Amino acid sequence: MSTQTTEKSAWSAIRELPSNVWSSVFRNPVPSTDLERASTSFTNFFLHIHPVKVHKNTLRPIYTMGLGLISIFLFFILMATGILLMFYYVPSTTQAYDRMLDLRGTVAFGIFLRNMHRWSAHGMVAVVFLHMCRVFLTGAYKKPREFNWVIGVLLLLVTLFMSFTGYLLPWDQLAFWAITVGTSIAGYAPLIGSQIKFVLLGDTTVGQEALLRFYVLHVAVLPTVLLTLVGVHFWRIRKDGGLSRPEGARVQGPGAGESGVVKLRLEPQKRVFGLQGFVRGPFTKVGNTPDDTVFSWPNLLMAELFVFVLTVSAILVISLFFNAPLEEPVNVMHPPNPAKAPWYFLGLQEMVSYSAFWGGIGIPGLMVAFLIAVPYFDRNPKGVGRWFAKERLMANTIFLSMVILNVIFIIIGTFFRGPNWTFVSPF
Amino acid sequence: MAVGKTSHDNQAVEEPNAGRRRLLAWLSSVGLFGSAVLSAVSNLVFIKPRATYGQPARFAIGKPDDFPPGTRISLDVKRVCVVREGNKLAAISTTCTHLGCIVGISDTGFACPCHGSRFDQDGNVTGGPAPAPLPWFKLSLAPNGELEIDKSNQVPPGTYLNV
Repeated sequence: MSTQTTEKSAWSAIRELPSNVWSSVFRNPVPSTDLERASTSFTNFFLHIHPVKVHKNTLRPIYTMGLGLISIFLFFILMATGILLMFYYVPSTTQAYDRMLDLRGTVAFGIFLRNMHRWSAHGMVAVVFLHMCRVFLTGAYKKPREFNWVIGVLLLLVTLFMSFTGYLLPWDQLAFWAITVGTSIAGYAPLIGSQIKFVLLGDTTVGQEALLRFYVLHVAVLPTVLLTLVGVHFWRIRKDGGLSRPEGARVQGPGAGESGVVKLRLEPQKRVFGLQGFVRGPFTKVGNTPDDTVFSWPNLLMAELFVFVLTVSAILVISLFFNAPLEEPVNVMHPPNPAKAPWYFLGLQEMVSYSAFWGGIGIPGLMVAFLIAVPYFDRNPKGVGRWFAKERLMANTIFLSMVILNVIFIIIGTFFRGPNWTFVSPF
Repeated sequence: MAVGKTSHDNQAVEEPNAGRRRLLAWLSSVGLFGSAVLSAVSNLVFIKPRATYGQPARFAIGKPDDFPPGTRISLDVKRVCVVREGNKLAAISTTCTHLGCIVGISDTGFACPCHGSRFDQDGNVTGGPAPAPLPWFKLSLAPNGELEIDKSNQVPPGTYLNV
């Protein structure tokens, strides 16, 4: 072998150049055997976020609905369009609004990019929230996934804050008054409220300093925090043993016995695939689990590509047909009447109209505290991996009533509130 | 520790000065952690502005004659309403104490367009979610004859300046 290599002529080096370059970049051929499928997931930098094999339950669309994937793909769209928009945007009270008009009028694809950015942001808030609902209603936050649930709650808060900071940047009427109201809510926080408000705004009122600060938070600080948390979130999925699934029972497939419970295969598997064969502990399943897993390549990859194409197409179509709203330029003397926050904050605004502290700080704070604490109080291991499991009737009822209450407040705030926040009928 | 010692020797013999080493390790950990905390705190100090570039808290609004007796003139940019009854003048804030919108002048006093708070002529809450009455600011007559408002200086409601 080695003698042949040394004897190769310059001509054969040139002839083999394309394949040599290709094989130096991609160390695996397009997989055709199980060993190559395993090796592809294990050695490719971009694919090694995947485990070599995934449980079949992970790939059931009805179980995850792809909501986590949609969230991250929307965030990718937001990063791509956001960076492009940064080339034209100026965080200045005298220029920001004009730049919005420029995006509409003179910048190639400007309005389209802004539409994509705005609709993806709305979509991300909604999908991250739905993802949280999925995880709760399938009991997926239970041991050993408690901490990943906490990170998920933090990710929801960062997503909301990202959206809130982005809201000010066009410097139109809606933006200005929504931020005035929003930062005033922060001012109601006990003890340090007025300090938080002052540091957020950089001044006593919403103005140039606030615009600059929100811009820096929106384009640098919060994306960094969000990406770091997303990294930990994904890492923990792997380290906590993959996506949640029903314990043992109800696995359909050749391994399932009469009772529906999968029998353990006792003899070790003949083949181990590379380094993962030596890894021990609860993370790898080689040799000690029933064979209800499939290879990530191509099964998981294809599922992800499908969700990605679906997400991008949806955003493209929506952005083609609907323009992102832009109101009149800021008039610091005349708030629009009623001055409404974006839809996902309207539930908050509705609650705030009863009591600033309880609606803006007290109840939302209690809700977040409930969400963070729930995996540490709900220690019942039953009902994991199934939607609306009977064993989780109480937890699911509490959670759903919280969700429904929020949705009702959002609907009231959106459709039933008119000038001076008086009750109006939309019909 | 002598250079030539092997790891085997280290395990076998109880290290001399182990207590001092632990103390030093502990002290340096505290030092490192302390500096990390200090640098985090310094960031907080950094982002809290010492000087603001917005409106100054003290500003002149014109001569008393610009505000005829019996008028209530709202200076929206300054977010203050100048009230004159006879020879008595006062400055009432028009920033809603609920969530910072600008209240407008209504028949009965003030009304907020954002969440429906209502106030009477003196700024007391008569309805809506506002938790506190509108504050009154110190109004004084500067030596050049102009009225001066100091928004950093609140006065009890009912305090008037006689001109």
